[in-house]
Amino acid sequence: MNAKTYVGQSVPKLDAREKATGQAIYAADLNLPGMLYGKIVRCRDFAHAKVLKLDLSEAAQVPGVVKVLGPKDVTQKRYNSGVLDLMVSEGLGEVLGDIEDQHIFTDYVRHQGDAICGIIAESEEIAEIAAQKVKVFYEALPVYLTAEDSSRPDAIQFDERKPGNRAFQLPEQMFPGNAYGWGDVDAEMAKADMVFEETFTLPKVKQCQMETHSYVAMYDQTGRLNCWTSTQMPKCVQPKLARLFDLPISRVNLVSTTIGGGFGVRLGMICEPETCAMAMAVPGRPVKVQLTREEDWLASESRHPGKYWIKLGVKMDGTPVALDARFMASTGAYFTHASGVPFTTGSWLTGMYKYGAVRYKGEAYFTNQAPSGAFRGYGNPQTNFALEQIVDRACNALNIDPVEWRKKWHKGTGDDGWCIGVPFSSCALDECLDRGAKAIGWNEKRAKYANQTGVKRRGVGVSVMNHTSGAMPMLLEHTTCTVKMNEDGSVVLMISCSDMGQGSHTVLKQIAADALGMPMDEIHILNNMDASGFDIGSHASRTTYVGGGAVIKACEDVKRQLIERASIRLGVDKEDLEFKERQVVARSDASKKLSVKEICHSGVYNFTNPANGETNGVPGQIQGYASHFPSHNSPPFGACFAEVEVDTETGEVKVLELVIAHDIGRAINPMAVEGQLEGGAHQALGMILTEETCYNDAGLCRNNSFTDYKMLGPVDMPRITTILVEQPDPIAPMGIKSVGEAGPVNPVGATANAISHALGIMFTEAPITPERVLKALNQ
Amino acid sequence: MSSRVLPQFDLLEPRNVADVIALLSQHENQVSVLAGGTDLLVWAYIEKNKTPYVLSLSAIEGLDHLDYVAGEGLRIGAKVKVAQLLKHPDVAKHYPALYQAAENFATPQIRNMATVMGNVLRASPAGDCSCAILALGAKVVLQGPAGQRLVDIDDFWVSYGVTERQPDELAVELRIDDTSSSTCSAFQRLTRVHEDLSKLNVAVRLEMDQDTCKQARIAMGCVGPTPLRLKKTERLLTGAKISAELLQQVAAAAREEVTPIDDQRSTAEYRRQVSGVILKRVIEQAVAKS
Repeated sequence: MNAKTYVGQSVPKLDAREKATGQAIYAADLNLPGMLYGKIVRCRDFAHAKVLKLDLSEAAQVPGVVKVLGPKDVTQKRYNSGVLDLMVSEGLGEVLGDIEDQHIFTDYVRHQGDAICGIIAESEEIAEIAAQKVKVFYEALPVYLTAEDSSRPDAIQFDERKPGNRAFQLPEQMFPGNAYGWGDVDAEMAKADMVFEETFTLPKVKQCQMETHSYVAMYDQTGRLNCWTSTQMPKCVQPKLARLFDLPISRVNLVSTTIGGGFGVRLGMICEPETCAMAMAVPGRPVKVQLTREEDWLASESRHPGKYWIKLGVKMDGTPVALDARFMASTGAYFTHASGVPFTTGSWLTGMYKYGAVRYKGEAYFTNQAPSGAFRGYGNPQTNFALEQIVDRACNALNIDPVEWRKKWHKGTGDDGWCIGVPFSSCALDECLDRGAKAIGWNEKRAKYANQTGVKRRGVGVSVMNHTSGAMPMLLEHTTCTVKMNEDGSVVLMISCSDMGQGSHTVLKQIAADALGMPMDEIHILNNMDASGFDIGSHASRTTYVGGGAVIKACEDVKRQLIERASIRLGVDKEDLEFKERQVVARSDASKKLSVKEICHSGVYNFTNPANGETNGVPGQIQGYASHFPSHNSPPFGACFAEVEVDTETGEVKVLELVIAHDIGRAINPMAVEGQLEGGAHQALGMILTEETCYNDAGLCRNNSFTDYKMLGPVDMPRITTILVEQPDPIAPMGIKSVGEAGPVNPVGATANAISHALGIMFTEAPITPERVLKALNQ
Repeated sequence: MSSRVLPQFDLLEPRNVADVIALLSQHENQVSVLAGGTDLLVWAYIEKNKTPYVLSLSAIEGLDHLDYVAGEGLRIGAKVKVAQLLKHPDVAKHYPALYQAAENFATPQIRNMATVMGNVLRASPAGDCSCAILALGAKVVLQGPAGQRLVDIDDFWVSYGVTERQPDELAVELRIDDTSSSTCSAFQRLTRVHEDLSKLNVAVRLEMDQDTCKQARIAMGCVGPTPLRLKKTERLLTGAKISAELLQQVAAAAREEVTPIDDQRSTAEYRRQVSGVILKRVIEQAVAKS
């Protein structure tokens, strides 16, 4: 093969130009002939209520209204908009207790924004006017906004299958004592010299992807249900819709449109069911549904909020003899990710340090908030906030340097990974800590800021994390790839992995170009869900790791076929053939060679000579194929350092600098890796400083818009230094490890610890707002 | 809750101020006046402010003047955008508080569209330009069927969202009081993130004689239903020499004088506590630059 030419290079993102210039086509941009507009009518004024009467008569009479659909006018099947059921074995799903509890339109409102009915009209204006004429009579029910509220014995039961409103706890069959971990925590804790215990409160934070949710669906005259959506897991939504509407998968045409950010909010379905149900009611006509930004908070999922209790026992020398923890998450109104997040939250906890014993209990409770679900990091930022702060508290009490403690006690190569029983394949965390500490000036600043008295005080903090590259063995890690060789030697790469903006298609193309020794611009990625095979979507930081693995295997299959054909044509043993500059060449005799283009061309344009019956080459168009199941999850580690300045008179926190050192194994596209870390840091700083979805006592959202849900803007962001630590993983394809999900994790703990260093106060509730800081300073 | 659909209204596009007055009289209380639209259109989408008529000032010649005349002051026409304040050298020179308010106001895009007059007419306690204008002292020129009248900015805001402007009047101009070489002013605010509505804003105008403050005007926003003058606190400054001790007293007095509430942006408790801190800082800033 050629020397690698693309892997390791900061190739610009393929979609950057069209997105920056407004040329990218999103679902909202689609305008099809005969298109109708759907409006989902949501319950605005109650968070928990029964619909006593739904009167659609006036709405139906508005000129231009084509159809109105109540709960009984659509399929009665219940569904779970999450897709965990498609990624774990049936047996495991049953043990985890996953349930289907959502209706397309409901007469039992479990959160503000629950969908009551749908209007289909000739224009969006008419649909809105008609929506305002829908009359709904409600019976208000008591509202439960926290797990503590809804778990009380007298609380109304949301679902008869989940007594006590407990949607999930770690199942006894798999986890004795409903706990994950090892050792005898009670016995080990008793041996501790010092015990640190705290309850942390995690906010309900939103993904805030740039693209608001938009869909088009059409049930066409051939009996196919077409759905244009920017879901980040098209090959899981396709069978979900097939099942919901009783169709074979081949009759669901799932068209992936440009994704304007995902971050987990598009993990599974959002309003595909409502849109498709409306389309099924008006066969032959496309129906477009567009949500407002405000609806995003009401109708789509957030990160799981909740209470995170943690207790760490240590010896005077810092030995962490025992860790006990319980995450009581609010899963919101529906089940969706009630099992996934509380489980993995504990995985990151147990995967981090060599505790003598550890016991983690993860639970999820229904509440009358909008559903919680997947958000980049999947439980890891929550664990980072609690674990990394309690570790620092112990370090401070024991007068041990937080960096040195972490270097001594973090898990590494060969230790049990986040999934107990699957050892870590590699770990570059020590190098991350060393290089990060040097870059931020850890020792000097730690000492310099130790005793401050002024109005503005500075602090530095550190936090580490472990994550995963795909979720093998917990999830079905499976991605297929087809590499079609065109007759001119150019390539169509068929794969179902989504590009959410993280640059995955760019990276997959880089991998394919090097694997085939050809230029990137002769490769086209086809993201067509009819043509492409199975994949579980872009999530769990899996696309480069698993999708990239599939691409390599499919390219190897192409090369095998090319060599076979060259061997026949040249009369040379296969073992004697190698690739050189898009040619297959005999090692023993360089004059014996065939170009890839020639082999591909003659395979397609294969003619028989009538005179002698001979053909000009080996017939058949070449396609390489792989159905790839990775053997591991090559977890990345990372260290983040933060420096902050706190104004003690106003409580304002300014993050001055972040240093993020990431154990990437090998960076396929360093610029893209840096982008992932910086973007993730933006989300982490939002969670720790400003972002929180708030509800009033009636359960109505108080800040479902950017007016009052504040993300940091460009001016608010600190200087960020990223350090890519490249120690190739021995198992991973090309030695790579993931980065996407890791981004929003450890800037959370590092910033919290830096604030604590500046003020000597640990904050147990995020976001750490000026109001909370000043209140704490006053006490 | 917002909507994706703009509500129905008739658009009125008069070509001169006389026609505006006539239309305002004809459709009394049924007209929203559109200049920059940065508030009005957002409010229309979220169904808080739906009038059957929207009257646009875009076809009117004039009302876009921004002139400083020594001895008279600054005149700001009804159509002057916030961004224009930043480009006028006399604003930076003679009205630092207004310049700093405009500089921190919203985002570049909104500064390019929003009018200074719109900020005053919105009668929000959080208006940054409003806060600076209250501290600087000003008159609002209202034109109605009976001609023009001038309302002092101290009397202009009646309550949250309500002004002295009558339904048949058009606010045509702001007249900011003149300043002298002994005048200094400054503006500061607190927000959740850089680009945000203020959770507290403060502006001061001080007439100084060396280190002694001869006269003071203090305006504070987000601590009452409208931007507030802190008159009791001002009296502490009048005739006093600016010192660290005095500023401590001023800060304490401000905390007593404000009447903040809890809302989505902050808490009453926090606002009360930082009101004194920010006032102290803004006075230091004003004096330092004088």
